Formats: sequence, structure tokens, C-alpha cells
Amino acid sequence: MDDDLAGGEGSIVVAEPASASRVRIPDRLIARRHRILAGLLVAPTAGWTLVFFVAPLILITVFSFASENLVTFNVSFGWTASNYGAFGGSLYLWTLLRSVGLSLGTTLGCAVLGLPLAYFITRQRPGVQRILLACVIVPFWTSFLVRTYSWVNLLQSGGPLDRLAQGLTGHRFEVLYTPTSIAIGIVYSYLPLMVLPIYVALERVNPDLYDVAADLGARPWRQFRRVVLPLARPGLIAGIIIVGVPAMGEYVIPEILGGGKTLMIGNIIVSEFLDVGNYPFGSALAVSLMTILMIMLFALRRVQPALEAR
Amino acid sequence: MSFRRHPVAGALALVVIGYLWIPILAVAVNSFNRSSLMVRWGGSTAHWYSLAFHDHNVRAGLVTTLEIAIGSTLLSLVIAVSGSLWWRRASPRARAVYDALVYARIVLPEVVFATALFFLFLKSHFPLGIVAIIIGHSVWNSAYAAVIIQARLIGLDPAVEEAASDLGATPWRVFRRVTFAALLPAIIASGLLTFTFSFDDVVTSYFLGGNSSSPLPIVLFGMIRFRITPEINAIGVMVMLFTVTLMCAAVAVFAIMGGARRGRRGAFAEFYGQ
Repeated sequence: MDDDLAGGEGSIVVAEPASASRVRIPDRLIARRHRILAGLLVAPTAGWTLVFFVAPLILITVFSFASENLVTFNVSFGWTASNYGAFGGSLYLWTLLRSVGLSLGTTLGCAVLGLPLAYFITRQRPGVQRILLACVIVPFWTSFLVRTYSWVNLLQSGGPLDRLAQGLTGHRFEVLYTPTSIAIGIVYSYLPLMVLPIYVALERVNPDLYDVAADLGARPWRQFRRVVLPLARPGLIAGIIIVGVPAMGEYVIPEILGGGKTLMIGNIIVSEFLDVGNYPFGSALAVSLMTILMIMLFALRRVQPALEAR
Repeated sequence: MSFRRHPVAGALALVVIGYLWIPILAVAVNSFNRSSLMVRWGGSTAHWYSLAFHDHNVRAGLVTTLEIAIGSTLLSLVIAVSGSLWWRRASPRARAVYDALVYARIVLPEVVFATALFFLFLKSHFPLGIVAIIIGHSVWNSAYAAVIIQARLIGLDPAVEEAASDLGATPWRVFRRVTFAALLPAIIASGLLTFTFSFDDVVTSYFLGGNSSSPLPIVLFGMIRFRITPEINAIGVMVMLFTVTLMCAAVAVFAIMGGARRGRRGAFAEFYGQ
């Protein structure tokens, strides 16, 4: 994904010959001045990222191999893998599996809902497109916490959706504080992040292509499968990354819609750090999550060129 | 039949847009609902708004949130603008490292990042509080700002700056009158965007706030978890109106200040790595 950026059109050679000849400063001095300037420009971002992003991640990785005496709170480094062992043999493994399942399921849910919507938007007139896009983006700007909380009201037993389900089907719809309500909340919150990249991918497509497919006799479903889906693929994969990765570490949604009963790995990490205070074990959980996500990302990056080549 | 007006696609699109909007409408309706159980409509009242207005924690939280949002936005802009200007002339290898770190700051689950930074501050005895939150927010906010500003830089033809320089402008003047002027819409837009993200953040603030300073989302989070009250809906409506106004301002600035098409579309494209 970054390859595009790296080879972008913005790269230019350091010293402009025109100005150099006009001011008549030796090239060596200009080059040096540019190096100093470049150093000054990169210093804030490099310093900030290294100290407050890279260093903390290294710190928890190191600590995840340490062990803590739970009585004295003394931390000793023996390069032990026991934190990971404790993790593997415990109930937490189920939580991790549930997180992976919820992440995959909600990403799929976002794709199933987002793809037709993104396609539908690109097929409208420009004015209508803008209104529909605003309908997708504006909810994303409003308070995430309040929107998630709203689902508690909507999903509670005796609430609007429960009564609607009873009226329509005769069955009750009591899903609050279950994995289902967490999934509804996650899909709801992350959907715009799936719709936008797919929209960007499909928006570049010449609409005549669809008409050609129709003229050649492709039925709507076949048009969708053979034309729309392959064209949407780069956007779809970008959406899968940007939804699936953060969703797996979700903390707030399971906290509110899981009612403290159904948890995800993010909740366990938070409680290990803030409530229990077992930092080495909490670190091991965080590092495990990070590792799983990195593996998934690399797998997706490998898949992407292969898919695009087809 | 043309797929363009295919009823299934249209119906699905409407249902999905409804899905996105119903919770927001529910918050708005319940903020006027006299019934505090919020299961049924119990007549209208403005009680929850006055309750929210006079809630001391909410007011203090709002002030803290604004301080944090302004601080982290300014910090993020300095980091993102200088970094992007460097990025423009960096070697491909250096750019790849920079891009990877920007990308990582955006996709890494906030829980992992927040615990790690919390732990670093704990071990280095850095006091938790407003300053710690501002630092935390600026780490991911500067990545979002960088993506938007870089998209704008890519669209800026170096020939324009060369022309200015050929016409006798000093390097500083070229930067001020050409480069910075061209970047301004992106800077304003990303400033407003990062402000909103900071304004809305829960996880990083939760870890780095310590015991003293609770920004508004943390106050709300506490209310949601421990006592369900319709006051939350009233606060929610006001917060939503505020952020939506800000974001509309961001879009308007981007659209009005020229080059909007390429800028905005470029920002989307860059953001999603295409």
C-alpha cells in the first residue's frame, strides 16, 4: 500500500539549479543547508514517533518476557515465556478466539452491507452522490460513545427493536449484553470506514463498463459478481484492513454493549493494566494481539497483489 | 434490466443508511423523553438539557476536553506539516519507513498503543493528566494529519515553486507564499479533523488521564457504565451538534479554498492507500 506513496510524483531533486546559479552559492554549501533543513523538519515527527510510539511498544514487548512477583510487585527479567504460557492455558484464550471471531464476522458484515451501498452511491448523479456520502460520513463524525450507548436503548428487552420483532414475527429479540449486540455495535461503528474506500475504488470506474456487461447479456447478479466485485477489490481490501484490525482490539463497544459479561481481548488487557496491575501478563496479552494483527496484515498484503494481478 | 436502478441494491442502500441514522435519531428523541426508562415515549421535556447544563462534572469535563483537543491539534499539525515537508524530498527508503510508521499509528488498536504509552509514563514517572493525554492524542492525530497534508503536497506541482524562485523570491518567501499557501486548506481541514478525534476519544484518555483530569468522554463513559440516565442523550445531542458543525466547517474550507476536487479525493485515496 505504501509503495504508491513511496514512488509518488512529489519527489524532486534537492537543489534547484536555477536558483543556485542566480545566487552563486557553491553547490556544496547548498547541499549542506538542505541537509540541515531536512534534519530540522524530520526531527519533530521522528522524535515524537520514536519516543512515544516505538519505545512504548518495545517496552511492553520486553516486559512481556519478564515476571512479576504478585506479592512484592518486584519485576524480574529472566526472559521467561511463562506469561505467554499462562495466557495459552487459560480462559483468556477463549476471549482471544472470541475477539478473532467477532473481528472476522464484523468485517464480513461491513463488507456485505458496505459494498452494495458504495456501488449504489457511485451509480447516482453527482449531486445525489454527495448527499448519500454525507449520510454515510456524518454519523461517523458524531460522538462515538453516545451512538454506541444509543444501541443499549434500542436493543434492551421491551425496547423498540424487541417490540418490532415481536410484532412482526412473534418472537422476542433479546440480544443486549451478548456477542450479537457487540457485533451490531461494531458493524455500526466501522461501516463508514468500509464504504468510503470501496466508493473511492468504484468511483473511478467508467460507467459504460456496466452497460457493456448488460448489453452483452449479463444478468444483474452476474454483472455484480464479474464486473463490480473485481473492480471494488482494492477498496474492499483497504476496508478490510481498516475495519478488521482496530475492531479486534475494540474496548469501548464490548464494555458498553457486552455489559461486562461478554468481553473481548481489549477489555482483558485494560483490566490487567488498570485493575489487576499485572503488567508483564498484560503486556504479553497486548503483544500477542499485536503479533496476530501483524500476521493478518502481512497475509493481506501478500494476497492483494496476487488478486490485483488476476 | 439495468443494475443501476436495481430495486435490491436500492432497498439495501436505504436499509443501511437507516441503520446508520436510527441510533442518532433515537438519541435525539430520547433527549426530550420525559420517561427516564427510555423504552416508551412519556411526553416531552427539556429537563435533561437543564440537568446537563448544570452538571458540574460535565462542565469541567468540557473545559478539559477543549484544552486537550486544542493542545493535541496544534502539536499534531506541527509534527505533520514539518514531517510532510521532509517526506517530499526524502529518499524512497526513508519515505517507506516514514509511511510505515504513519500507517502503523493509524491501524494499531488504540488499546495496545494506550497501554504501552501508559506503561512508559508509569516507568519513567511522567505524571498522568492533561499533558500526558495531549501527548497520547498527538501520536495518532499527527498520523491522520500527515495523510491529508501529504495528499495535498502530492498535488502541488514543484514547477510552481521553481517559477516563484526564478522570479526572484527568497526561499522563505517561496515557502510562505507558495508552499504554505497551497497547504493551508489541508492544514485547516486536518486541524478540524484531529480536533474532533481528540474531542471524541475514550481509550487513550482513559489510560493517560490518571485520577485528576477527566475529559468529557470519560465523564460520559462513567455515566454510561454506572448509572443510566437520559441526561446522556441531552449531552450527546449537544456534543453531536458541535462536532458536526466543526466537520462541516472542515469540508467547507476544503471545498471553498480551491483545488478541492483533487485534494479531497486525494485525501480519501491516500488514506485508504490506493
